[in-house]
Amino acid sequence: MGGIEVLIYGLLFIGLYFEVFVLLTFLSGPARERRARPLSTRTPHVAMIVPCWNEEPTIKGNVESLLTLDYPEDRLEIIVVNDGSTDRSGEILDEAFADHPRVKIIHQLNGGKHAALNTGIEYAKDAELVGCLDADSYVEKSALREIISCFDDPRVAAATVAMSVHDPKKPLEVMQHVEYILGIALRHVMSAVNGIYVTPGPFSLYRRAIVLKVGGFRFGHQTEDMEMALRLQREGYWIENAPKARVYTKVPASVRGLIKQRTRWTSGFLRNVAFDYRGMIANPRFGVLGLMVLPLGFLAILGGIVLFGMLIFSIVDDVVQGYLVHRGIPFSYTFSQIPHEWFFIPLSVLSVLAIVSSAGIILFIIIGKRVSNTPAKLFTGILAYTLIFRLIAPLWLLRSLKDVALGTKRPWR
Amino acid sequence: MSLPARNAVIALVITLAIIGSVIYAINYLDRKRVAQLNDLQTRLATDTLSIETQFALLEETSCANLSEGNTLSREMTDLGDRLAFAETQLGNDNDQVIQLRKQYTLVQIRDYLLTKRLAEACDLDPTVALYFYSNETGACDDCDRASYALSYLHETNPDLRVYSFDYNLDLGALKTLIAVEKVEPRFPAFVIDGVRTYGFTEVDEFKLNFPKNFFATTSTSTFTTPLRR
Repeated sequence: MGGIEVLIYGLLFIGLYFEVFVLLTFLSGPARERRARPLSTRTPHVAMIVPCWNEEPTIKGNVESLLTLDYPEDRLEIIVVNDGSTDRSGEILDEAFADHPRVKIIHQLNGGKHAALNTGIEYAKDAELVGCLDADSYVEKSALREIISCFDDPRVAAATVAMSVHDPKKPLEVMQHVEYILGIALRHVMSAVNGIYVTPGPFSLYRRAIVLKVGGFRFGHQTEDMEMALRLQREGYWIENAPKARVYTKVPASVRGLIKQRTRWTSGFLRNVAFDYRGMIANPRFGVLGLMVLPLGFLAILGGIVLFGMLIFSIVDDVVQGYLVHRGIPFSYTFSQIPHEWFFIPLSVLSVLAIVSSAGIILFIIIGKRVSNTPAKLFTGILAYTLIFRLIAPLWLLRSLKDVALGTKRPWR
Repeated sequence: MSLPARNAVIALVITLAIIGSVIYAINYLDRKRVAQLNDLQTRLATDTLSIETQFALLEETSCANLSEGNTLSREMTDLGDRLAFAETQLGNDNDQVIQLRKQYTLVQIRDYLLTKRLAEACDLDPTVALYFYSNETGACDDCDRASYALSYLHETNPDLRVYSFDYNLDLGALKTLIAVEKVEPRFPAFVIDGVRTYGFTEVDEFKLNFPKNFFATTSTSTFTTPLRR
């Protein structure tokens, strides 16, 4: 067995092992309890903070969706921080909500998303919980009540939701929708073993006192939500998940936009984990997060790049060899030679394990849809996600690795 | 033991069990493939013996009564295809595959000799191509192309009889054939109607090695025996 084969088998083994671990945890008591968790009867004071920078197309709908939240009006305030927008976001906000009794609009010079969040947290002095909702996201009415119950446990410093794509229509959006649904399942399962490493911008909730205690939001290599989650974990707090609290977010509809977004996320992960929080990697004190999630995050990036390289090499080699072998011979003969008997099915240990592993991913996508009741047409989405999306992912993995290695900084958008 | 630790241990056991099951299932399929190849081999050997027996009876019957040829040809093609696939699945160095390859090579040589004798006795003029390849790494860059082209030429020209041999197979009868035909270890090597040629470039160029107008005729012979690598 050659080195490449050993590498592929190793990656498949680790991937399969992780899938089985996730499935077992999904079936275990703590995850079942989370799925059955009743709505909290508590109504703590909540401040929802919307950091806004050039969100002209979505900002109004975003705030309006917050106003529809099923929550006592006197217990919920909405703070929109216009972080130096250069488009009409500020004007739109002023026109629509300047006189609204539950909406506070703060205009400030551009300081970045973390600065906007800190401004909102500072302002929300009466709030027990502060939430963040990216300006390109929308919430379902029941989302806040669903997520509040996560804070019945005093160890919990933050909670995440079930996030999926808003109105997915274009093929790239449909693929991301499936990916997000997979993320719902994984985040739900990982919350049962405190293995969450990011509290995404679309509607994560925090205990205000704890956020202030750990020093507020930081730049965090353009991934302030990941940096905050890692800091909370390092300080020994729990991060929960409410799988039935649904939030919809806008996603890039072009490959270029997607690569840009994912490069920011991936390089943020690499920089945060490899540099600022490297002490958590393989550290038993951080349980599943330290021993499994963070190391596997690195492995997924490196493995994705290696497998992509091998796949490209294999495809090019097959095409060249196929051309050379079939040159001068009619296509009709080539197609007539395709065998139809079981004898000729080219199954190998490697291919069957790859099929089993892919089946595991499909299972988690179905689980993600079921536990969150997220509307989705899975068949075409899964096909596109498996055959296309996972093949283009290495593009941003490679770009991120290069950025981190060369110290390249890129703008947010 | 904490829940994550317990799940981690159970996950390891289950993962190993899955991998073990997959390995067992693939081995089972491979064993079934080899068993099928063995069956085909036995049937082929019987058919060859039948042809030889018919040939021995030629003095008492006519050449037209030798009706087994086409069946034998199909079986040899089928076995050749399956053997080639088994080689890709199990590897060229698999003992069972090597053994089957040796048996198959013997059957081919016997059929080749029988073809020559029948041609003389029944006044036939079959076009025969002996094809020698090498499975050794780097020894024959053009063998895949040559094998595929020969299969195509046989498929479209049933008059063409192709016998395909692994030059490096450790088999006395094959070594003797190589010595008799004076084939050098340069690959791919061909002996077409007794003339030796080496190398492969294009299908059209390769056709020039065959008798003039051979590919323009479409008559069906009594015996055809193709094989791809």
